[in-house]
Amino acid sequence: AAAQDWRGWNIHVEGYPNTVAMDRFAELVEEKTDGEITLQMFHGGTLGSQPDAIEQVRLGGLAVGNFNLGPIGPIVPEANVVSLPFIFKNVEHMFRVLNGEGGQMIADGMEAKGLIPLAWYDAGARSFYNGDGPIASPEDVEGMKVRVMNNDLYSGMIAEMGGNPSPMAFAEVYQALQTGVVDGAENNWPSYESTGHYEVAPFFSVSEHLIIPECLCINADAFNGLSEEHQAAVREAAVESAELQRELWAEREAASRETVEGAGVTVNEIADKAPFQEAMQPVYETYLAENPDLRPLVELIQSTD
Amino acid sequence: MSDAQEGTAATDSGSGLDRLLDAIAALCRFITGVSLVVLTVIFGWLVFGRYVLNATPTWVEQAALLLVMVIAFLGAAVGVHEHTHLSVSLLRGLVPAWLRTVFVVATDLLLAGFGLLMLIYGGQLTLFKWGSLIPLIGLPEGLRSLPLTVGGGLIVLFSLAHLWRVVQGRDLRRDTIE
Amino acid sequence: MGLLVLLGLFGLCVLIGTPVAFALGISAIAAFWYEGLPLMIGFQRIISGINVFSLMAIPFFIFAGELMFHGGIAIRLVRFAQAAVGAVRGGLGIVNVFSSMLFGGISGSAVADISALGSILVPVMKEKGYDADYAVNVTVTSSIAGIIIPPSHNMIIYAIAVGGGVSISKLFLAGVVPGVLMCLCLAAAAYLVAVKRGYRAERFPGWTAMALSFVGALPGLLTAVIIVGGVLSGVFTVTESGAFGAIYAFLVTLLVYRAITWENFRLAVRQSVRTTSMVMILIACAAAFAYMLTFYQVPARMVGLLTGLTENPIMILLMINVILLILGMIMDMAALILICTPIFLPVAASVGVDPYQFGMILLVNLGLGLCTPPVGSCLFVGCAVGRLPMEKAVRTIWPFYFAILVALLLITFVPAISLTLPRLLGL
Ligand code: NA
Ligand code: NA
Repeated sequence: AAAQDWRGWNIHVEGYPNTVAMDRFAELVEEKTDGEITLQMFHGGTLGSQPDAIEQVRLGGLAVGNFNLGPIGPIVPEANVVSLPFIFKNVEHMFRVLNGEGGQMIADGMEAKGLIPLAWYDAGARSFYNGDGPIASPEDVEGMKVRVMNNDLYSGMIAEMGGNPSPMAFAEVYQALQTGVVDGAENNWPSYESTGHYEVAPFFSVSEHLIIPECLCINADAFNGLSEEHQAAVREAAVESAELQRELWAEREAASRETVEGAGVTVNEIADKAPFQEAMQPVYETYLAENPDLRPLVELIQSTD
Repeated sequence: MSDAQEGTAATDSGSGLDRLLDAIAALCRFITGVSLVVLTVIFGWLVFGRYVLNATPTWVEQAALLLVMVIAFLGAAVGVHEHTHLSVSLLRGLVPAWLRTVFVVATDLLLAGFGLLMLIYGGQLTLFKWGSLIPLIGLPEGLRSLPLTVGGGLIVLFSLAHLWRVVQGRDLRRDTIE
Repeated sequence: MGLLVLLGLFGLCVLIGTPVAFALGISAIAAFWYEGLPLMIGFQRIISGINVFSLMAIPFFIFAGELMFHGGIAIRLVRFAQAAVGAVRGGLGIVNVFSSMLFGGISGSAVADISALGSILVPVMKEKGYDADYAVNVTVTSSIAGIIIPPSHNMIIYAIAVGGGVSISKLFLAGVVPGVLMCLCLAAAAYLVAVKRGYRAERFPGWTAMALSFVGALPGLLTAVIIVGGVLSGVFTVTESGAFGAIYAFLVTLLVYRAITWENFRLAVRQSVRTTSMVMILIACAAAFAYMLTFYQVPARMVGLLTGLTENPIMILLMINVILLILGMIMDMAALILICTPIFLPVAASVGVDPYQFGMILLVNLGLGLCTPPVGSCLFVGCAVGRLPMEKAVRTIWPFYFAILVALLLITFVPAISLTLPRLLGL
């Protein structure tokens, strides 16, 4: 087959676990296809925002991308299920689901929209942080202005706890936390650290309410057009890069946690998450009423051990 | 900001076509003006809701981005009709008149071509994204590219009409705001 | 070759007088086509260029400025400013620079700064007999203060680009002295140019006249108080404050001055929309252009071309400045911070430059790029609110570029300018 030059997208900066893993993926693809496929990675989101890059991969302008399933949700209904708060018990549970039938259902949904997930990456769990004091129960969120990403599920989650969900551009959050435009936000350990949010919101409560996986995606036509050997090679490369990513992610999470704790952040472990999970019942009910087709997938995930 | 450049209807003699184009431009100005006022008011409502009611209207941010698309692309089309876009007129001032006419014609053709591509590919983009919804306001994602599509169509219209006037020797203006 | 298509077609379009926005768009789309990329993505880039929340400051502050102009606030500000600083040559130019310094203390964005101050001060300065190009030049160049003087979301982007280990509070503190230094250099330039052009100083009108003009201008001056106070107390963000500026200006002209008529309001809306759309279409098309520059890996190629030529630390730092300046001229800021930091920071560190100081060098360089043709959002806004063709503004902007370059060289070669304040405060 003729040589192919691919381009890839990744939002993270140099040195980040995903960046290292995507670079490794590029190397492996080239190696395993004897240089017949080359991949040029563009890190730091320099070729566009995540929703834009998803569109670019779907349209074939880019061959591959490392995407969070959050922004894929509005396009692929099955992928939006992972944005339900507390749907996964923990990261290991999430990977068990993704490696099983649940993962296949999500992958099929994505392929119908021109994206094939080659492997799943870890993005940890998202927890709440704020400036006023630890959050131990849903009541502590009452009346709090919490910055959320753009998704009805996330805003519904805060609203059900009695808080005030405030969508806001990511770049504005640091200042908003500092001046009090919002009281809190939520993210994983590495982002909490690298954005400096811990400097202005030094209470981190380990709610782990959202565990949203990431995927290494490829344009469906690009992948289906490959020979069988090349398809296998590309998949292998993706799986190996994902193994590396998960390893680096674990290290990075620990390092970030150490950094922020060293800077004086108060970490509040939540012993009993049941009250939070119970508060989410209306979110699930509304969601399933609006998306009855997705009930089997939700139940499948909940019944996976 | 004097009013000297205010209301530069692009026509010097009012043919029917010119009047029609002026009316379309006026309609666009009305739509973009209303968009600006609405944009300002909903931001006031956003802050009021978050700070006073402690209930942030979550739709404002996304709605605002859509309104800006309308202002930008319809406004840009009106700008083509009224010749208000920033451009560099240095060389046009230096060359002989016939070459200047060539430049003006070439610019009109380039603009018409670009407008046509906006119309075609903006339209495709709109259809491509129509199926997915913008989170928090629940409107089709395709609405985001609709203003570019419509603006593109208008740019074709306005620049070809200008070309027509140039051919008739009625209008050579394609200058910067001054 | 594709890069040649992009740059060549752009140059050709600009020369024959195609509006700069469309010259950017046409050449970018041509390059998309040349590379066999889906053209839909080209138009996606154009849309995404303005699908940016922080750009919302542009329409708001422009609208506020127009309302103040048509509603009689601006003229009262002129009278007061004239009474207060009319006795100094170039007084309004200097006021302009220091307003940017103060506003820079609340906004992190040069575009917010120039939309806010430019929309008010440029018409005021023109009214008082300053040349339009002088007014635009001063406003455009001093708007970079917003990036350097904390807070600044560009510094947060830089901290993220470094990849951790950089404290944002310390970075913010590091920006204070360089920002002030830059403003002092610009104020000096504003004064010298004013003297050279023979702007006349007026007699001080006396304290009574000044007090009277102050009272008249008070509701207008309160706009600034409301914006600054609202942001600092957490009522709204800088972007949102622009909408409040507009609403407040409308209420003042309606209720206090009773100067707004339906006709005036319509005019203010119309002018605002016109200016906003001019600027937005430029920023939109510039985004497609920047995508292709990134696609062709122009930043990395330039570094490859120019580094390795020398080992001399001073030459290396100068080289970094030159490369950043050139890149800043053709691409916009956030992408460049993310692209250039990992390339340059290790080089700079190898000659002993601290990441905090390097952040300042990077931001001033890229900030200057916002004021230069062909791609510079601050220059776009400045020319749009000043109703001035770009080449006219650029022809006389050199003294102000020079002032920034002086500040830049000091920041590059005197680490203490950036590092002393954080050290004194124990960070
Ligand atoms: Na600032
Ligand atoms: Na520039």
